Amino acid sequence: MATNSPPSIHHERPPLYRDVTVVKWVVQIVALLLTLGALWFLANQAGDNLRASNVPTDYDFLSVNPGIDLSSGIDTDPDTGGRALWVGMVNTLRMAVAGILVATILGVIVGLARLSNNWLLKKIGTVFVETLRNVPLLVQILFYGAVFASLDRVTADVGPINGWLHISNKGLSMPRAHIADGFYQWAVVLLIGLVVANFLRKRRIAQQDATGEETYPILSAFGLMVVVAIIGWFIHPIFGFIGNIFEALSSLVSSVPETVLQLVIGALCVGSSAYWIRGFLNSRRTPAGLAKLTDDDYFRMIFAAVGGVIGAVFFLVLWPGLSSWMINSASDLFEVLGNKFGNGRSGRPLDVDLPNIVQTGKFPNYGPSGLNFSIGFAAVFFGVVFYTAAFVAEIVRGGILAVPKGQTEAAASLGLRRSTALRRVIIPQALRVMLPPLGNQYLNLTKNTSLAIAVGYSDIVQVGQTVYNQTGKTLPVVSIWMFFYLSCSLSISVIVNFFNVRMKIVER
Amino acid sequence: MNIDDATAAANDRLADRDDMIVCVDVDKFYGDFQALKGVTATIKEGEVAVVCGPSGSGKSTWIRCINRLEVHQGGDIVVDGIELTNDLRNIEKIRSEVGMVFQQFNLFPHLTVLDNITLAPIWVRKKPRGEAESMARALLERVGIPEQAEKFPGQLSGGQQQRVAIARSLAMEPRVMLFDEPTSALDPEMIKEVLDVMKELAHSGITMMVVTHEMGFAREVADRIMFMEGGEIVEVGTPEHFFTNPTEDRTKLFLSQIL
Repeated sequence: MATNSPPSIHHERPPLYRDVTVVKWVVQIVALLLTLGALWFLANQAGDNLRASNVPTDYDFLSVNPGIDLSSGIDTDPDTGGRALWVGMVNTLRMAVAGILVATILGVIVGLARLSNNWLLKKIGTVFVETLRNVPLLVQILFYGAVFASLDRVTADVGPINGWLHISNKGLSMPRAHIADGFYQWAVVLLIGLVVANFLRKRRIAQQDATGEETYPILSAFGLMVVVAIIGWFIHPIFGFIGNIFEALSSLVSSVPETVLQLVIGALCVGSSAYWIRGFLNSRRTPAGLAKLTDDDYFRMIFAAVGGVIGAVFFLVLWPGLSSWMINSASDLFEVLGNKFGNGRSGRPLDVDLPNIVQTGKFPNYGPSGLNFSIGFAAVFFGVVFYTAAFVAEIVRGGILAVPKGQTEAAASLGLRRSTALRRVIIPQALRVMLPPLGNQYLNLTKNTSLAIAVGYSDIVQVGQTVYNQTGKTLPVVSIWMFFYLSCSLSISVIVNFFNVRMKIVER
Repeated sequence: MNIDDATAAANDRLADRDDMIVCVDVDKFYGDFQALKGVTATIKEGEVAVVCGPSGSGKSTWIRCINRLEVHQGGDIVVDGIELTNDLRNIEKIRSEVGMVFQQFNLFPHLTVLDNITLAPIWVRKKPRGEAESMARALLERVGIPEQAEKFPGQLSGGQQQRVAIARSLAMEPRVMLFDEPTSALDPEMIKEVLDVMKELAHSGITMMVVTHEMGFAREVADRIMFMEGGEIVEVGTPEHFFTNPTEDRTKLFLSQIL
């Protein structure tokens, strides 16, 4: 028998080029340097080439009058290029939000129709989906545009209800409700009402759970809100004092010295990176103590620390104007709010204007007091809504079919009615499958609104194109487009992901 | 001798009880294939009936016809005096009196164990949540997993899931429980825990109809065993009769294959 002592193991350091740790670190650092170098080289080259070929890359046009008229939007005769692009963005957002809402509702209806046992409904659903998703969106938008353009020409008394509702080849014009003088104070009343109503709703639910008696929690909360809104309509001026609070805040903010904010920003940079590193270390901690950190972990922490220091230096040394800008804007914001909530505003919270038809030049047109939807808006709206609804319908159908049949059977065997089973069992599980592809469709819809250029609806692309045709600033405008669409898409992704995480099914 | 003494005694014992499930000449077709060929049987109140037979013999189809998960095309099914017709009210009534446990458990994966059990009492029986929850906890105690109430089905083992499914059915306080191969999807060591719960149920006096291959369970708790093949009931008898003295050749063949 051999001895009981453990065999002696001889540790030998491998040469550096075979040492896993060393190789990993070297590769990480080289990769970082190469990436930074490539970016620097590309930026440099692009800058040189643009300068050499005299392509303008400045954003001066944002504050210069572009001399253009827009077909629709919050301001059809913008003072500056920036204002014009802003109108375009609002138009795009309007189209996207309205489109997403209506396309979802329509898509759900069509998707359920395709699943129903009713032969006619099923066939209608199939025809809807197969026609609309197989014709290019641009063709559809042009088609709707052509159809609407063939409506009656606008005259001083075009119908169908003169003075209230006008439909013509200029689009639709109808009464417009809008925020008036006392709205913000009224909103405070509503906010208080909302808190109280939510409290009431929770109490009613608790009551229902305790006694089994139907207490209509949502209905009673809604009723309370209506009462509060009506009372608030008359008493809202008493909240005028909120204006004074904002005024005081405004002067308080403007008295903050720049250096203090400067230091706070720098401290925030360093502090947040330290906070991240601490959280990271905590997440790696096992009950027995700190777990062994990998090289990747060290790399991440060093990266975070360096990032924090670079951020602090950047804000403290390279961009000192930031804090004065922040102080001024915050002060301005509070001043505006102070004015909105101010004591002097005792008028009605909301107002309604009837549409009007004006004739400034040769031809009559809709005036600004009504809520107007142009033919371009209608064409793009119907185009993206129908087109996207066809895809949403398929997603809804797939999502519901993806829920195993056993779930329906289990619900049925427990005596649940079909509607209850759908609401409590099938749809919650189907939503989990549907959300990611639905998010994709919402992104597609938002980006597809750029086809508005085909029918002259003033979305961001159409306005931007007009602006760079006038000013020649192609690249800056394109960069604004890209930034705008990127922000929209990322916002949608964040919202969809939020719900995605909430719908996730817990396993293990 | 057609029918032995034990079976006769069992029939006598059940004779004065009320009929719970009555099936007369039940036919069921899938396209051209006839899955049930004139199934006729009566299950009495408080009886534990085990249905066995080779796969494809129509056992599951029959049990699924009884709460209308499948629609029978011929014959009559009457459960607790309510005839199963196209009348939605009758279907709802029968379903709320008949609990069912599936081979694949079919728990609702997005709800906790407690919510799985309270869903039907709250939305069908309109019970207050507090009452439904205390009953659910009592039922979980009864099936032996009170500590799992807040978990999700995906976090439980197969045996635990099936016991939750049994508790979920019991929460509706059914008069009849249908079991469709409740242990076929389970690992061997989990079968026992489910069978124990089912045995406890059987002794509690509830009417049970169980499709299973667990012959030990059948021998121990069944009042009668029904053997099906090719969509027909071939032989009915007490466990003693069935295991020791089967009369039909097809039954003998089946028993020789599985025992």
